[in-house]
Amino acid sequence: MNSSTMTTTARDANLVLCHDCRKLTPRQPEASTDEAVCPRCGATLHLRKPGSLNRTWALVLTALILTFPANILPIMNVNYLGNAEASTIMDGIIYFFQEGSYGIGMVILTASILVPCFKIIGLILILLSIHFRWDSWMRHKALIFRIIEFIGRWSMLDIFVIALLQVLVNFTNITTITADIAAPYFVGVVISTMFAAITFDPRLLWDA
Amino acid sequence: MAMNQTFSEQSTIKQQTDSGFDKLDPSQVLACPGCDLLLEDIPVQPGEKLVCPRCDEILRAPKRNSIDHSLGLSLTGLLLFPYAVFMPIMTLDTMGLKNTGTIFDGIISTWHTGYFTIAIALVLTSVVFPLTKLCLVFWISLHLKFKRIPNYLPKMMRIYIQIDEWGMTEVQMIGILVTIIKMHHMASIHYNVGFFCFIALMATTVGSSLSLSEEEFWEEIEAGRASR
Repeated sequence: MNSSTMTTTARDANLVLCHDCRKLTPRQPEASTDEAVCPRCGATLHLRKPGSLNRTWALVLTALILTFPANILPIMNVNYLGNAEASTIMDGIIYFFQEGSYGIGMVILTASILVPCFKIIGLILILLSIHFRWDSWMRHKALIFRIIEFIGRWSMLDIFVIALLQVLVNFTNITTITADIAAPYFVGVVISTMFAAITFDPRLLWDA
Repeated sequence: MAMNQTFSEQSTIKQQTDSGFDKLDPSQVLACPGCDLLLEDIPVQPGEKLVCPRCDEILRAPKRNSIDHSLGLSLTGLLLFPYAVFMPIMTLDTMGLKNTGTIFDGIISTWHTGYFTIAIALVLTSVVFPLTKLCLVFWISLHLKFKRIPNYLPKMMRIYIQIDEWGMTEVQMIGILVTIIKMHHMASIHYNVGFFCFIALMATTVGSSLSLSEEEFWEEIEAGRASR
């Protein structure tokens, strides 16, 4: 990169940044065996998050595997006068577009399909770029990671909607809505991508 | 070895210093959590942001009256919380049949349909974590306000930072709005007390997150413990 020879990192200066309170502490000499602890907040200090790449890979791949059942199996079951009709995430979105509610269709499409895909593809790209030391587009990769961190929680939207519908649309013998088999897989995707973003240390991008 | 540092602020500030590592004082420098770049610590006014020149991560964004605002908003949030979760959100009325639901009913009915993992995820993200967050912010800012720093305060602050993103009140608010749009042409919807309390709760939760400056809280905790 343009200024790589000019910049100094905390690691070069033998300083460790606390990941909880962001205090800088001088690194302990190699010989000492005790765990270094942040003097301000008591968190264990690590120069980089331990096992970051392995853990992030494991969680991203878990999310990728869970994505298939989450999208293929039905997530919601609408029972109208005894006729049960199961619908997948995509069915729900198509329904809104056919109804002409494009706004709400876009919101659910973004939260339930685009955001999880973006998170998984984005993290895999960042991880590969570390393995193969691709050092171009660094600022963009940093930006992608910040977006992934920020949007993580918004995919839970569909689950909240189903939980509320389940209570409100509960007219026994006429119509009821219940969650269906894909819902736990979907929650699994959201949780594992959120943990993947937590275990990933963005400083590894710049270390190489 | 020379250390060259570049800073960007809202108005671009550039500073350069030459100093050896041995003379480096950890309290005079700042490391970017996004890329580990070492920078000289410069004062930032509330409303301004200090941005990393290499990776654009926000390094400092001080808030005005952070402790007072967090204290007030978290207390308001705590008072609203039981009403938002346990009072009916809305009533659906179709063909003379009425149905009312609360946030908590949603969790219970998910449990009863047998989706335990979802029920647990819901109870954590919509009740346990948001409530714990509000309690922690209230307790920490109350202590900082009166400059009493018990030994467990740093631990509490760390818990707050770790559970921050798992409290999903804002996401749930959008979920309620999506539900309304989904149902409004199938049934007539009456909004109940819980709905308005939930909007207020969401506003105070977001407000208390925005007004809380982690940097300032940590500095106050450290200063308070050092002075004892």
